[in-house]
Amino acid sequence: MRRLVASLFVVAVLGLVGLAAGNIKAGFIYVGPIGDYGWTFAHDQARQIVDEEFDWLETVYVESVPEGQAGTFIDQLVAQGCNVIFTTSFGFMDETIEAAARYPNVIFAHCSGFKRAPNSATYMADFYQVYYLNGLMAGALTKSGKIGYVGAFPIPELKRHINAFTIGVRTVNPNAEVHVRWIYEWFNPAAAKEAAEALIAEGCDVFAFTEDSPTVVQVAAEHGLPSFGHYSPMYDFAPEYVVSGQIVHWEAIYRDFLMKVHDGIYNPTNLQHVDYWWLLSQGAVEVGAKPGMVINPAFEDDLKAVVVNDPMLGEISVYDLVMTRLHQMGDPGVTYDPFQGPIYDRQGKLRVPEGCWLSADSLVTMEWAVEGVVGPWPGEPTE
Amino acid sequence: MDWQSWLIGIVGRALAFGTPLLWGTLGEIYAERAGVVNLGVEGMMILGAFSAFAVAQSTGHPGLGIMVAAVVGGVAALIHAFLTVTLRANQYVSGLALTMFGLGLAGLLGRGWEGIPLRQPLPDVTIPGLAKIPLLGPMLFEGQSILTYAGLILAVVLWIILYRTRWGISIRSVGESPATADALGVNVFLIRYLCVMFGGVLAGVAGGFLSVDYRPSWTEGMTAGMGWIVIALTIFAAWDPLQAIGGALLFGALYHLSYRLQAWLPPELLKLMPYAFAILVLAIAGLGGAGRRRGAPGALGVPYARGEK
Repeated sequence: MRRLVASLFVVAVLGLVGLAAGNIKAGFIYVGPIGDYGWTFAHDQARQIVDEEFDWLETVYVESVPEGQAGTFIDQLVAQGCNVIFTTSFGFMDETIEAAARYPNVIFAHCSGFKRAPNSATYMADFYQVYYLNGLMAGALTKSGKIGYVGAFPIPELKRHINAFTIGVRTVNPNAEVHVRWIYEWFNPAAAKEAAEALIAEGCDVFAFTEDSPTVVQVAAEHGLPSFGHYSPMYDFAPEYVVSGQIVHWEAIYRDFLMKVHDGIYNPTNLQHVDYWWLLSQGAVEVGAKPGMVINPAFEDDLKAVVVNDPMLGEISVYDLVMTRLHQMGDPGVTYDPFQGPIYDRQGKLRVPEGCWLSADSLVTMEWAVEGVVGPWPGEPTE
Repeated sequence: MDWQSWLIGIVGRALAFGTPLLWGTLGEIYAERAGVVNLGVEGMMILGAFSAFAVAQSTGHPGLGIMVAAVVGGVAALIHAFLTVTLRANQYVSGLALTMFGLGLAGLLGRGWEGIPLRQPLPDVTIPGLAKIPLLGPMLFEGQSILTYAGLILAVVLWIILYRTRWGISIRSVGESPATADALGVNVFLIRYLCVMFGGVLAGVAGGFLSVDYRPSWTEGMTAGMGWIVIALTIFAAWDPLQAIGGALLFGALYHLSYRLQAWLPPELLKLMPYAFAILVLAIAGLGGAGRRRGAPGALGVPYARGEK
């Protein structure tokens, strides 16, 4: 109710402020508050960046929209004159498609879903390559051989990320384990803190996570342990302990999409097959403790001291391996993928045959756990 | 993993997580003992959390942040007291409104403060000497917050006041039967005002603990439902400050265990455990005390108007 009132208020205020000239008016529907310093914060930062970049663009947003109520807010945004609408939560998928049918002349784009329409595209910036790079570093830094991972929900997106992370860890440290704890919330600092404390009590000494606050980084630093930031730059929360992390750049996608709408390349009839699945090479995601800092200098020596034997690259330090892989995945013409066969799941079943890469479809529906993942894994395939 | 390190972990985490719950619950107990339900705990906590962070960050003094949080919590509660005691508004509606108001206002004021680590958190204390005691030392006296100890002492003091002093008798009588208390010359309105505001002060401190100690940073909505746990714990503790210690620690321990035990038990089940346990205990208590409302103040939730009935 509070969120509803707040959302209505923001819509009203922005509606009055809006109405300046500009031939694209883009509306953003957010699932959380823009102050979460996580998912919604990142989308809103991107909105502000593109809003400043293009003088033909005007943007408005509605925050804290509960899943199931997006339709009403879409109606309002359309009534205010929005001709492009971004819905930024998986749970808005069906409402977006319904609204697209209601407003055939408005362009829609839905984040993280898989349903499209002639006037409704989909987009996603995915971190799995970045998690793999973080995993390489984590594998080199653990002394106990146990790495802690605090996860939000056991859904394919997180499973893909934890698997990619674990593949990185085991590349450097074949016997290391990634211990996983689920908190069943996207945002709950107290739960994240207690889950991290539980992992520390069990001997984990390096941390990664998926939760929309910097809690895990702070808890690890209190215990003097290294960690990886998630979603927003978290270096400042623990400059001595944040090794690297995952940073998103939604503006890369918003910029490309809106420019194509502006140039007439996208119109409300040709979006049925427009699906952005953007990774390192498109600049939608970045590896680093903060923008421009791939590896915290405090950990450079440690990572240069650990040497692994790669079948293709020979003897190579973890530091150089991270940089090499970053180029292989980040440069145009990607020549490496973390899910490169042979990969077995933790029950011994071959999931990726030798020499193969996984398709985008297999990545987004991933339910299995790779060898090295320890802990509960709801929905794990049994066959 | 030996049993000692398990025990140290569980008790240590129970104390840490239980601290904001204990402060909040003690405050709500006093408000409800005087007959006023305040469902605005979540709102007062979040206002306390934000103001403590803003002050601590600006001045570099976390202790000052906590003090300001206490004042802010008290002022927020004053709104509730005015609406429910003076205007005799529905206490449940007013409390809910306070929660929404607090969450909204803190979110609005907090814009621009998120994503910044607090430059000087409240330091943890290790009590010299006592921390050396085997088992008990690391369990109780190492790396805990000053507010943890203060909360435990406060619970004892509040129990003594409630059951062993004239003030306590006045507070309880106002909650049980305000008309009788009024007839005996007790100032019902003053006591209700003071108790509700005191509840707000403690809720403000609980929120301040979250943002300058437990997780030294500000994020919108960071109380994440703790205020509601406080409401449940108040009933769970049968409106008794000493039982509130047990309730807060038990809830803290179960919360910690719900992550520790994930390696062996399904996480969905564990996530439910603390809440399921609370329901179970309430049900058992309800059965046991059939007819009597197990410590609930008689006039709880009922506005008092002089001369009626």
